[in-house]
Amino acid sequence: MHIIKQLMSIPGVIAAGEYAYRGDRFSYEGALTDEFARMASILCRGNTLSVNMQSEIFDSFAENCGCRPVQGWIVRGDQITVCTVGNYFSFIENRDELLNDVMTIMRAKVGDVQDDLLVNLYAKLGGDTKEALY
Amino acid sequence: MNFDKMMDLPGALAAFTYSDKGELQSHVLREGTELTPQVLDLLARSCVANQAIASMEAIGWEAVTGQTGFQPLKGFSVVGLEWSVVVNGNCGVVVRNRDIDYEASFKAVQAG
Repeated sequence: MHIIKQLMSIPGVIAAGEYAYRGDRFSYEGALTDEFARMASILCRGNTLSVNMQSEIFDSFAENCGCRPVQGWIVRGDQITVCTVGNYFSFIENRDELLNDVMTIMRAKVGDVQDDLLVNLYAKLGGDTKEALY
Repeated sequence: MNFDKMMDLPGALAAFTYSDKGELQSHVLREGTELTPQVLDLLARSCVANQAIASMEAIGWEAVTGQTGFQPLKGFSVVGLEWSVVVNGNCGVVVRNRDIDYEASFKAVQAG
């Protein structure tokens, strides 16, 4: 089962989606409009690239310290949590054990994010990734 | 700050506190971990920045979409390859991914 459908089958998952490197291509299911899903994709991409930049700085101080490459991030809100792994995101309610379940599924389904996140994300667009990036 | 409680989390590698500017103030490291006080200091600074950004995004998201439930923020976590850091306010904990209980970790830093 596709990861977005699998996440959406869990009670308490409000929305789930996938975004591309540029942030302007995305797919989603759940309680978002197209415009809100576009905004969420851009936001998630921005934060993902930011924390990856930070992890490269950590790595320069302590090589192989276990942070890099970053797999995702979580924002815990008062009633809603946003979690991302790789280029997938989900909005979930703060229910007991839901965050652990969602993170377990996302980590298992997305797999380990590879070292070069830009290439990894850009590759979703197809074409010559290296030419587009470098 | 109850470091003992945070270090009792399964897989906990470090617990720390930091100032509003992100300067590391106190910490505990599990023996044998690759983490250093210098990395924790950088981590704390990035966590302050990330919490500020997440707060701004939460306020903006609620204003633009009309959705509620994001504010006030209860914490932020970065999931690394081998460990995750979970922070809230001025304290944080680093936990090994294979053992981590995210909900317990968020509760621990909220209580801290």
